Amino acid sequence: MHISEGILPAKVLIGGYAIAGLATWYSLREINKQKNPTEGVPKAALLTAAFFVSSSIHIPIPPASVHFVLNGLLGAVLGCYAFPAILIGLLFQAVMFGHGGLTTLGINAVIMGVPAIIAAQIFQFRYSIGHRLKPHVSLNLFGFFAGATGLGIAALLFFGLTITNIPSDFDAQTEQTAIFGLMLAHIPLMGIEGIFTAMVVSFLQRVKPELLPS
Amino acid sequence: MRFALDEYAHLKSPIHRWNPQYKLIGLLTLMFAFATVEDLRLLPVISTLTIILYLLSRLPLSFLLTRLRYPGIFLFTVVAILPFFSGETVIWQWGIITLRQEGLLAVVLIVCRFLAIFITGLVLFGTSSFLNLIKAMRSLGLSPILADMMLLSYRYLFELAYQLNTMQRSTRLRGFKPTQFSWRNLQVYAALAGSLLVRSYQQSQEIYKAMQLRGYGTSMKSPQSKRSIDVYSVIALIITLAIAIGLIGLEFLL
Repeated sequence: MHISEGILPAKVLIGGYAIAGLATWYSLREINKQKNPTEGVPKAALLTAAFFVSSSIHIPIPPASVHFVLNGLLGAVLGCYAFPAILIGLLFQAVMFGHGGLTTLGINAVIMGVPAIIAAQIFQFRYSIGHRLKPHVSLNLFGFFAGATGLGIAALLFFGLTITNIPSDFDAQTEQTAIFGLMLAHIPLMGIEGIFTAMVVSFLQRVKPELLPS
Repeated sequence: MRFALDEYAHLKSPIHRWNPQYKLIGLLTLMFAFATVEDLRLLPVISTLTIILYLLSRLPLSFLLTRLRYPGIFLFTVVAILPFFSGETVIWQWGIITLRQEGLLAVVLIVCRFLAIFITGLVLFGTSSFLNLIKAMRSLGLSPILADMMLLSYRYLFELAYQLNTMQRSTRLRGFKPTQFSWRNLQVYAALAGSLLVRSYQQSQEIYKAMQLRGYGTSMKSPQSKRSIDVYSVIALIITLAIAIGLIGLEFLL
């Protein structure tokens, strides 16, 4: 779900970099508010690498196979480190595999990173909204919503931006139908991503609870 | 897997000689200038510039072809969809298959722009070591937190990929059938991803302790090195910026 080089006009690319710059500034400000900002760097760096590697796991859904986006899970686990982590992951994907690109790095970071920040907030709601529920129910429920929302918003942004900005002569009605159709096709994937995220946070809660932000 | 960014950074060429700091500014500006091109008459210009740049870098053709494998899927999708569905001017028809002029021109524009930007990016990252590029980014104002995260992630990426590979092989040896989609399989995949996160977290704790012992996090001033102006790199930067500004100007004038 990365926009490749050459598709979008320069003004959208520059706009993407501007929003990504703002989100990075906000994330770094949150990181610098911590007592020891450098303490979280190795953890965030290695988890970035682990997320990057984990996203290569392919799940067979006949007749094809899909891989997880994991931006919701990344937001839930890394919190304010999520946006910088996504920026770095996307840079590696662009230069190593040609997924995405350097001029589209800003806009791709917005597509993946902003939903991750939202997912991080959703996952934190388990303490405010979900405190009346049993802890494991609350963890799974908000883990599910964080994962599903992360993918859902990313897909909406991706298809919306690609279809409306591609240099072609599709009319507005065709564009809307295409976005709606592609979003409908992604609803089952949002469900699977949400379930997977809930399973992983549940696993982390059992094995290494300090990995989840309190 | 040959995904290291800088396997040809040791070569000698006019682009390799270029200081990474100036190269980063010059080539990134050129890439954005390529992205502004919407007039089809400028496509031969950007294609020629890209070919010259790649020839100057002396990177082998196999390096480019290997890297084009994944983006090739994207290119194929664009070529397969746009000429047949986008536009109104029909230039060829056979049964229900209709080739449209506007879609075809859009494909030419997207593919040329894609290749020009992609190859320039490849030259940028293929002709300097990754460490030098991070240093150049730091000197241009990249946050130290981002720079450290980038270096550490790159350092452990391949190691974690190897660990995941080993874990996946172990699950198969224990009878796991990855070709089925089931609740049980999803749990196994979640445990795999979770284990990788836990392992990387534990490793990061040890790395942090080791880094602390070497003075990480303390505000030590690094010795100021004398900065001399690299005339060759400055001239190369001026030429590249002039080309980029010229392209943007032509795009507005045409």
